[in-house]
Amino acid sequence: MVKGYLCMVLHGHLPYVRHPEHEDFLEEDWFYEAITETYIPLIAMFERLERDKVNFRLTMSVTPTLASMLTDSLLQERYVKHINSLIELAHKEVERTGWLPEFQKLAVMYLNLFTHARDLFERYHRNLVSAFKRFQDSGNLEIITCGATHGFFPLMDVSKPSVRAQVRVAVANYEKNFGRKPRGIWLPECGYLPGDDEILKENGIKYFFVDSHGILHGTPRPKYGVFAPVYCKSGVACFARDMESSKQVWSSVEGYPGDYYYREFYRDIGFDLDYEYIRPYIHPDGIRINTGIKYYRISGPDNEKMPYDPDAAREKAASHAGNFMFNREKQVEYLYEALGRKPIIVSPYDAELYGHWWFEGPQWLEFLIRKVAFDQKTIRMVTPSEYLAENPRNQVITPSMSSWGWKGYSEVWLQGSNDWIYRHLHKASRVMTDLVRRNPDAVGIKRRALNQALRELLLAQSSDWAFIMATGTHVAYAQQRTKNHLLRFFRLIQDITGDSFDEGFLKELEYKDNIFPEIDYRVHQ
Amino acid sequence: MKSKAKKTQKTKAAASKPKLKDKLKKVLSLSAVSRKSVLKRPGRAAGRPTAAQGQEIPLQDMKVEQAKFYTGTVEQPAYQKSVVAELEHKELAWRYGEDILVLQIRDPWWAHAYWDVSANTLERLSKELGHSFGAGSWHLRSYDVSFINFTGTNAHRFFDTSVDVDAGNWYLNFGSPGTSWCVDLGLLLPDGRFITVLRSNTVSLPLDGPSWVTDEEWMIPEDEFRRLYGMSVGLGPNVSSPVGKLWQERLKRDVSSRGIASMGVSSPVKKGQVKLPFWLVVDCELIVYGATEPDAHVTVQGKPIKLRKDGTFTLRFALPDGRQDIPVVAKSAKIDETRTITPVVTRKTTRNP
Repeated sequence: MVKGYLCMVLHGHLPYVRHPEHEDFLEEDWFYEAITETYIPLIAMFERLERDKVNFRLTMSVTPTLASMLTDSLLQERYVKHINSLIELAHKEVERTGWLPEFQKLAVMYLNLFTHARDLFERYHRNLVSAFKRFQDSGNLEIITCGATHGFFPLMDVSKPSVRAQVRVAVANYEKNFGRKPRGIWLPECGYLPGDDEILKENGIKYFFVDSHGILHGTPRPKYGVFAPVYCKSGVACFARDMESSKQVWSSVEGYPGDYYYREFYRDIGFDLDYEYIRPYIHPDGIRINTGIKYYRISGPDNEKMPYDPDAAREKAASHAGNFMFNREKQVEYLYEALGRKPIIVSPYDAELYGHWWFEGPQWLEFLIRKVAFDQKTIRMVTPSEYLAENPRNQVITPSMSSWGWKGYSEVWLQGSNDWIYRHLHKASRVMTDLVRRNPDAVGIKRRALNQALRELLLAQSSDWAFIMATGTHVAYAQQRTKNHLLRFFRLIQDITGDSFDEGFLKELEYKDNIFPEIDYRVHQ
Repeated sequence: MKSKAKKTQKTKAAASKPKLKDKLKKVLSLSAVSRKSVLKRPGRAAGRPTAAQGQEIPLQDMKVEQAKFYTGTVEQPAYQKSVVAELEHKELAWRYGEDILVLQIRDPWWAHAYWDVSANTLERLSKELGHSFGAGSWHLRSYDVSFINFTGTNAHRFFDTSVDVDAGNWYLNFGSPGTSWCVDLGLLLPDGRFITVLRSNTVSLPLDGPSWVTDEEWMIPEDEFRRLYGMSVGLGPNVSSPVGKLWQERLKRDVSSRGIASMGVSSPVKKGQVKLPFWLVVDCELIVYGATEPDAHVTVQGKPIKLRKDGTFTLRFALPDGRQDIPVVAKSAKIDETRTITPVVTRKTTRNP
């Protein structure tokens, strides 16, 4: 008998990194790596499940920035170039490791992986959004949206028109890509400030997610803790993360990805092999970078690493999936008795955790989905929409301001390294609102300039920049991106208020920051 | 009632900038047109991070997200010449010459305030206050405005924090989750008067534990809620702490286990790994190369290889310890002739110590 639900949520997101002016741009690699290691393995998994008639349920955000990159022809072309170069390298590796059978086996594995990735990519005509859409249309995958550029809403309290623009642009982008309106949203960084649900409601969004304390510390007290959604006063439903299941995957101490049989992320041939040999496959400036070919397993706490054994790792992934399912069954059985209703366990993860960082993650997920489908009867996987349709009656509370960032609130995005950006972002937002009010029906070049100004503002608002400034890698890039978009914004504003346009400048921006071609500046109000 | 000024956190060193009073002197002697340029501070890198405040996220706590953004190095973009490229060398305005004071929530206890005071306002103040303008000191006055419509005089309580007005921003510790706050930036005069110059937006700090408000329709007994809370935050159902303390308990455990927040995950790879003070890695590869007639058929260790157009070839092998016999066999395409050359290579690695 089904006693509860499991809702697995993957948050697929990358900031908009696209530099047409450079042949080879380092930060674009984030995207290429995520395609090969996360998005394609996930899609391949969906295909296998479909082939085997496993009626799975998964919820996944594809953020508007990620969707825009996945549908961009320049980036698609560059990905093919990237994967071709990896395939060439893998061929060389198969030859080079001829006297080391343990390694040659792995080189062959990578060669297959890359070749299959290229095949799948071409099979969907280089457009992976269409692949995700296919599984949404089949009813297995529920794709949700996110803030247009992943702006962190709690730090836009004085810029509500920007929150509205983030949501409206996202909804329009979703409709363009998926042919219908989004039912749910992943609030960027799970950042919720009471009242923001009103803006979601305006846009037809039915539900969003918060971290556990978002509901637990809501007012009044939630009767079912995080094991049932609540409604905000606006009527929008709010689901909260379950910590126990999160911990099993995320935690450094108890988490599965740290198993010694899993692949070691930090030993990459881009760093390990002879410089002259690897040179054509690293950055053209000669800086060593990850290639994606990694031969070792985590092995243990020492620096001595043993060769990766894919079969042993696969066994581990299967047993970890079994363990995860067993724990959910126990959890659900207990809660079903305690609550007197079927609990929902919401387990959200960064999609890029699966495959990119935790190499065996997609395997683990596939084992889990298959085991839940065939090996037990206590839990059922659901999407939030399905759950709400079956369980429409829920408590009304005001969730607490919260995020899923370190310490649970805004500190990651508001600290010494990044607090300087808000003065500028808020100023730009006020200016934008004012211009929208004064130009209700701009036409021609003025309209184009206003649209571009909104693109620049949205791009500056990505929480990724503040996050990167806080973490300390790629800081210069994040600072430059924030600054560039703001400078471009203010320069456009100068033209708009002076009613004198530099079309060359505008054209260059439209070409460089080409995100959201369908944008309408009037959404910023 | 005026409470003692609470501990504040200063984040921005103002040493490099002219003091506001100096700025005012200049402003008063300048025309309205050039005022703007005084208030803008070109030449200051907007992107420059402010002084560290000891609150940065421990690096090891952010590995997943970092891994996502990790490619091994950092580079500065260098674009070709264009209007957009030229713009990149410009700096953002340091300030916008406005009267603004914005308050943002950092967590249930702390908020961040940033402000700017326009030249006009400073001029007006200076005129109105005369010599006491110079004698006054800048303060942030924080009002507890929980559950009221703040009129300026009906706050439950307030406290003052002395600030360096040129710093332009400050972290304030309100210390009471679940309360609402509004802040004035103003001058505290020697006679005790507080002259409000700017007023902020109002923020409501989140609770740091569950609400005490219960819902009649959705009532839940205290001990049952505690069990549920314990399970919800991953502490399990058998926790003994009172409900209000459970969140702190969870946070404490997260700190000790280095977190399970989205980016708060540490790399399992680096778990317990000690960075060695010194190390050495050595490996060997062997390059086998040669040449023959371009149309010859060549095998190396029995496997056919491809020749370059000029008949040359190069093979590269990772060389393990032990002996390798590498027969290279070339068979002519034109005549019945075969040649074999067999390099024999032995690698033996010793370690000391």
